[in-house]
Amino acid sequence: MSTANDSAGARLILNIYIGLFCLYLFLPLAVMSAAAFNSYDYPSVTQWRGFTLQWFVALAHDGRLIQGLINSVAVALGVIAVSIPAGLAGALILTRLGQRSGTVLYSVLVSPVLTPGIILGISSLIFWREFGVPGGLFVAVMAQSSFIASYAMLLFLARLQRQDRTLEEAALDLGASHMLVFRRITLPFLAPTAFTAAVVAFLQSFENYNTTVFAIGGEWTLVTEIASRLRFGLSPVINVVGVIFVALTLVAATTYVLLSSRKKAR
Amino acid sequence: MASLFRAYGRGLGALLLAIAALWILALILVPLGAMIEQSLWWKDSKGEITLQIDRLYNDMATLQLDASGESDAAKKAGFEAQIAQKQAEATALEAQETNPPKTYGLANFTRMSGLHFYIFIRTIIYALMVTALALVVCYPMAYAVALASGPRKAIVLTVALIVPYAINELLRVYAWLMILDYRGVINGILGWLGMVDLDNRGWIPFLENPSAVFLAMIYTYVLFMVFPMVNTLETLDRNQIEAARDLGASSFRIHRRVIIPHAKPGIAVGCIMTFMLSAGSYSVPAIMTRGQGGDWFSQLVYRQFFESNNWNMGSAYAVSLLVVCTAFILIMMRLFGVGLRDIAK
Repeated sequence: MSTANDSAGARLILNIYIGLFCLYLFLPLAVMSAAAFNSYDYPSVTQWRGFTLQWFVALAHDGRLIQGLINSVAVALGVIAVSIPAGLAGALILTRLGQRSGTVLYSVLVSPVLTPGIILGISSLIFWREFGVPGGLFVAVMAQSSFIASYAMLLFLARLQRQDRTLEEAALDLGASHMLVFRRITLPFLAPTAFTAAVVAFLQSFENYNTTVFAIGGEWTLVTEIASRLRFGLSPVINVVGVIFVALTLVAATTYVLLSSRKKAR
Repeated sequence: MASLFRAYGRGLGALLLAIAALWILALILVPLGAMIEQSLWWKDSKGEITLQIDRLYNDMATLQLDASGESDAAKKAGFEAQIAQKQAEATALEAQETNPPKTYGLANFTRMSGLHFYIFIRTIIYALMVTALALVVCYPMAYAVALASGPRKAIVLTVALIVPYAINELLRVYAWLMILDYRGVINGILGWLGMVDLDNRGWIPFLENPSAVFLAMIYTYVLFMVFPMVNTLETLDRNQIEAARDLGASSFRIHRRVIIPHAKPGIAVGCIMTFMLSAGSYSVPAIMTRGQGGDWFSQLVYRQFFESNNWNMGSAYAVSLLVVCTAFILIMMRLFGVGLRDIAK
């Protein structure tokens, strides 16, 4: 597990610790998932009333949650549309800037990542009200994009550090137009990162609560709807949403591991 | 700037600049400015003006009564003049009532009540405690992941850490809510064992204790602490550890003198992220306590906006929170000697 010279005792303690840590991470999720199948109208595993799928049916008939899901997807797509171009532009500019002006710009562009989410939501809400736009899906997209674009930019920056600039320069010397170079060399080089950034943006947007709850106004996303229901009490329908998330994540993670190990084997 | 145009040409370079400018202005700086501006003014409370208007109308009614009982024409005219004057005052106040004038100043900050200020300070202390606890809990884990030998072990551990993170923050909090609720898992098990009496509401109120929020918060933000540490620890040359051991250093000493100094930037970044997230977290305290435990500051901010409908006060609260977080970041960066570029890795 650890360095070769570690004493057996220390290694054992570390392994036990890792075991407990993983238990801490996974047990709550397991409990939440199990309760989704319990035929008892309060989510519980200690009061077991028999296996049921009735809460899945209840979820399928829950109009507000379904609409919330649709809204969440719409917001996430909007965030991708805003934050990928913004992040790309920021990264391309930063890689071409000098050290000093670069640092200032970098600080500004990274600052949303270090700002508490509620503040991003509040400032967007106030800003857009000046233009007569009340809180809603649009303001939620804008508020979320402000920091998700920074994440996208960081991903692009990391990729651009490994870029071989001589390729672009050679193409320009050979008479290609700037547009052509950008389309044929720069963009293809960045395409895999753009895909990763889009996935990250989608996940970040989808699960965001702290920013969204301030920006969303009278509308709702899946997450804000769940949160407002929790005020009135727990329901196994929420557990079903949890189970679906856990299942999707497990499938995605397994696929990722399998794909990456296959890539390594090749 | 010139190298940007050289690389991408005039048109494309200008487009990139325009997009970035739009991002900075419309999404970052101007909204922030709008929030700060909002925190610096207020409109005088309507209640007082309404009271004044009511009083004027009362006076007018009395004067009216006096005037109608008065036979002397001169005196009557005097009353009528007074009524007209009061009416003019009332009309002016009514205009103010519907659209009170803005007053600029710092009153939104200084007017924070004693209780709210207490909650503000307590939230900062709680967030510091969460950060410290998360650091202690995560350090061994980060060490194990970073120095794990087989590549497979590293993959499994990374997946084990990422999978809980990929699941919605809210649902992770919800899982803890289920466990710690009055009729939750722990109380259920205790009930089985006969240690608490659930039928007579004899459960243990875990959720009313601030540590319930701590537990869920560390659970929610654990990865923001683990990952930066893993990142820096992975670059540690293991020969250094072995050399220290060969020279007779104890495990404790190796951690203190070799590993922790190397992990410093990661520790700083992890602490910054965890503090920022927990001090500004609305989801965890709002859901875990449901109004039954002590409030966190973020809940006060929310209420100022959506329950008291006092955006100016709410903005002032938000700005205060932002100032604290910024100060914490700057202090950590100074203490640990890390730059902004290290943070954003």
